[in-house]
Amino acid sequence: MVRKRERLDIIRDILKVIRENRKIKPTRLLYSSNLSPQMFREYINELIAKDFISLDVDKKEKKTFSLTKKGNDFLMQYKMIENFIENFGL
Amino acid sequence: MYEFIISNKEVFKIFYALIIGFICAVIVIKTDRLFNLSLHKGIRYFRNAFFFYGLAFMTRYFFGSPFACGIAGEKYFQFVNFVFEFFLIMAGFFLLYSLIWKKIEKSEEGYKSSLFNLKILVFYAMAVIIAIMDYLWTTRSFMFVSQIAIFLFATIISYNNYRRKGKKHLFLKFYFIAMILSFLAWLSNAIAGLYLKWNQAVLIEVYILNVIIFLIFLYGVIKVTKKW
Repeated sequence: MVRKRERLDIIRDILKVIRENRKIKPTRLLYSSNLSPQMFREYINELIAKDFISLDVDKKEKKTFSLTKKGNDFLMQYKMIENFIENFGL
Repeated sequence: MYEFIISNKEVFKIFYALIIGFICAVIVIKTDRLFNLSLHKGIRYFRNAFFFYGLAFMTRYFFGSPFACGIAGEKYFQFVNFVFEFFLIMAGFFLLYSLIWKKIEKSEEGYKSSLFNLKILVFYAMAVIIAIMDYLWTTRSFMFVSQIAIFLFATIISYNNYRRKGKKHLFLKFYFIAMILSFLAWLSNAIAGLYLKWNQAVLIEVYILNVIIFLIFLYGVIKVTKKW
């Protein structure tokens, strides 16, 4: 049976996709994230609120997501956070 | 050795409080960084536990020391004891809750405050009630019973965690050992307080056990976050 993705795993996956693409359109990110549109919106709103990603709108009103420094830091520290959670049974 | 410690116990108690206060401060600072980055609730409750442990030990052994508060009256010491009990019980609740929160809350639920939410309010209420009951009956029995129950439960949970994932995550074994030691420390403290007229030799052993327990947690936190 496939393990259900934890919240932190989902956040990591979204951030990784954005990092790999540098800038990514909302629709492409939705497909890559394997989330329902509603869940996707919730996660994206949370990530923007936490300042992990930013929503950029160009002159043609095209929207793209990009990773902020805080989001990049999170990805770097993700392994440590995961280790901490597992080692302390949290 | 025991006689030397007992005759200078107030000085030793201040050092004891400072050592545990320092350990708690390091754990809180390190885990607060992890929490701010992840907003993981387990890390939040774990951090809160050591925040309250730090407050409890500093309150009791520093602000409650005859050196620190001079000729303060009995009412002052009763108040310090009440606050100490409240902080200590809250710390125990938070530590246990950090192990079981996933069964009670959803990780998506967001809270504005780190120290208060509706579910945690139950712990605050219970901690206040236990501290008030001990104050009214001038005893520590209610706190002892609550903490022995909490650490018995935490020992069982940490044993299960160790059995399931201990080979992959090595600190789970130390966590389990820390929980057994905490349970034994509370049990010895209760026996010393309720049946042995606060036997000083037993209490010194409890203090030593407590320092070992906090050092185990400090070791775990530093080991996992050492690359930071």
